[in-house]
Amino acid sequence: MLEAAFFYLFGGLAVVAALGVVMARNTIHSVMFLIFCFFNASGLFFMLDAEFLGIILILIYVGAVMVMFMFVIMMLEVNFARLREGFLQYLPIGGAIAVMLLIELIAAATSGVFSSKTASTVEHFGREVNNTMEIGKVLYTKYLLGFEIAAIILLVALVGAVVLTLRSRKDAKYQVISKQVKVRKEDRLRKVEM
Amino acid sequence: MANITFPFPFPVILPVLPEIIVAVMAMVILIWDLFLPAERKQWTAYAAIATCLVAIDATLRTTGADAQMAFYGQFVLDPFAGFTKLLIIGATIYGIVLSLDYMKSEKNIGEYYSLMLFSMLGMMLMVSATNFIIMYLGLELMALCLYVLVGYQRDVLRSSEAALKYFILGSLASCMLLYGISFLYGLSGSLDFAAVGQALGSLGDNSSMAVSLGLVFIIAGMAFKVSLAPFHMWTPDAYEGAPTPITAFMGVAPKVAGFAILARVVIDALPSLQADYVTIFSWLAVLSMAVGNIAAIAQRNIKRMLAYSTIGHVGFILLGLIAGGPEGYSAMLVYLAVYLFMNMGAFAIIILMRREGIQGELLDDFAGMSKVRPGYALAMGLFMFSLAGIPFLGGFWAKYAVLIAAVHAGHLYLALIGILFSAVGAFYYIRVVKYIYFDEERVAFDFSENPLMQATVAVTAIVVVAIGIFPQPLMDICRAALGGIV
Repeated sequence: MLEAAFFYLFGGLAVVAALGVVMARNTIHSVMFLIFCFFNASGLFFMLDAEFLGIILILIYVGAVMVMFMFVIMMLEVNFARLREGFLQYLPIGGAIAVMLLIELIAAATSGVFSSKTASTVEHFGREVNNTMEIGKVLYTKYLLGFEIAAIILLVALVGAVVLTLRSRKDAKYQVISKQVKVRKEDRLRKVEM
Repeated sequence: MANITFPFPFPVILPVLPEIIVAVMAMVILIWDLFLPAERKQWTAYAAIATCLVAIDATLRTTGADAQMAFYGQFVLDPFAGFTKLLIIGATIYGIVLSLDYMKSEKNIGEYYSLMLFSMLGMMLMVSATNFIIMYLGLELMALCLYVLVGYQRDVLRSSEAALKYFILGSLASCMLLYGISFLYGLSGSLDFAAVGQALGSLGDNSSMAVSLGLVFIIAGMAFKVSLAPFHMWTPDAYEGAPTPITAFMGVAPKVAGFAILARVVIDALPSLQADYVTIFSWLAVLSMAVGNIAAIAQRNIKRMLAYSTIGHVGFILLGLIAGGPEGYSAMLVYLAVYLFMNMGAFAIIILMRREGIQGELLDDFAGMSKVRPGYALAMGLFMFSLAGIPFLGGFWAKYAVLIAAVHAGHLYLALIGILFSAVGAFYYIRVVKYIYFDEERVAFDFSENPLMQATVAVTAIVVVAIGIFPQPLMDICRAALGGIV
């Protein structure tokens, strides 16, 4: 009972926050709503006894990803009012698809195929299970291949970002240390007749 | 301390050997590039080609007649995966050879070749996946590299624009795919294709909305990756904006990987939904053939034209998947193999025509080519006729195989629509030949004279003709490649 109440609390707030992300006029507010949404999602993880995932969600998404979002938004100075121009034009078709999808999702959720046995959290109550350790075990054994591919994906993302943005600018002032070390007194000093 | 036992059972790694070689070499090239002086950066390309050749050798040596599992059954090396890997590596070698001249003046070419290898690695992992996680990760690795490669010429505005469009739409498609996968996971409690297939089979009621939604989202996500209409919007822009060798590469390799994994998913994970996915695929195939072949007529830029041509061709390839069974899947492989050569050949000619500042991209640029370079003109003519499906070239047998498979599987109307659009498509391919042979020269030709490229064009043209005259060996190989899955 209490569990259900908390589920609806977190779930409901997450939905409200998600709506806020798309509705907010100010982009910074959108990001704040997104952070709020992540907190609620992490609450849902806690309720599933997946405390490790819950903490990770806050640490990585709220702590790192969202901070980066903030930086990008503040630095790019995108004109978001202009991005919204086509909003009314696309509303009818977009809205129709959204409503259709909502009906289908509700039908899917209530069709009973997601049986209660998979949704139940009660079965591992009272068992000596260390969430973090279990994830670690599975990650480095069964999902080792996926883990390694994910590592390569991160490497590619890094290389790609550098390749696309690194440009040597002609007007940039570089410090060439070897030149600084080699410089002699005669190069810099000039005797001036007074 | 809890009872952690060391060592963990060490995973079987022999079937993954080609992937390991590629991954290590891609990283070695990335670092080696730093120590190469500027005039020798081209060596990274040769190292990448050597890596591909070693990977081919390793694939041939490790692939046996039986399926070999690795990593707790999440990775499989069977003849199907082996054959599609050979096609993917072949497409990558083509892409690198075509890049040699084209990218010479660009900066950071070491990273360029290493990203191509990483992309190839993603596709190789994808076709061997027997688990949705590995499939998705392979797909993302491939796509992420391609986003960067499309936008590689950052100073060219349309290149950056193409990359951004491709990236945003690609991310959306990935979300859809993941959402679909999450539905199937919720239903079956497993991410392994076989376990999902079993769970769906025992579910009984497959008309349930949850199953349909999962299926639709997965198909939508994958259809985007192989540019099936109506998920094709990004294709013309990305093709036009990308550096031409990358256009050639992404016109073939991701399609091979995408169709291979799509076949594996429908065979292993969704066998009980055959009626549903055949209906969806039929619409996608008809739409793709229609959009691809009709919209291509209006294009003046040959890269855009070939983009629409790709959309048309994936519609045909999908016919093989719709037909199903050994005949359908082997027809799909035949088509992919032949398409690899036709498409790469056509793009090689386009790249050879690149002039200082002007790229041979407009159809008008081809006018009168036969008088200046009869050899290139003949090769381009062969590729265009083959793409159109004119008899006794490779492309004819590819179309023949999928159409016959569709008819045998009882999809007569689809085959008829296919023939109709194939006839429509022949118009714009043959129009290129008309420009080459019957029009007057309008611009001065100045071909780049790279012997490696010329040899590539010659070999490709010979292969296309050879497959046209002796299609049986290829068809037998493709049939044998199905040993593992059907």
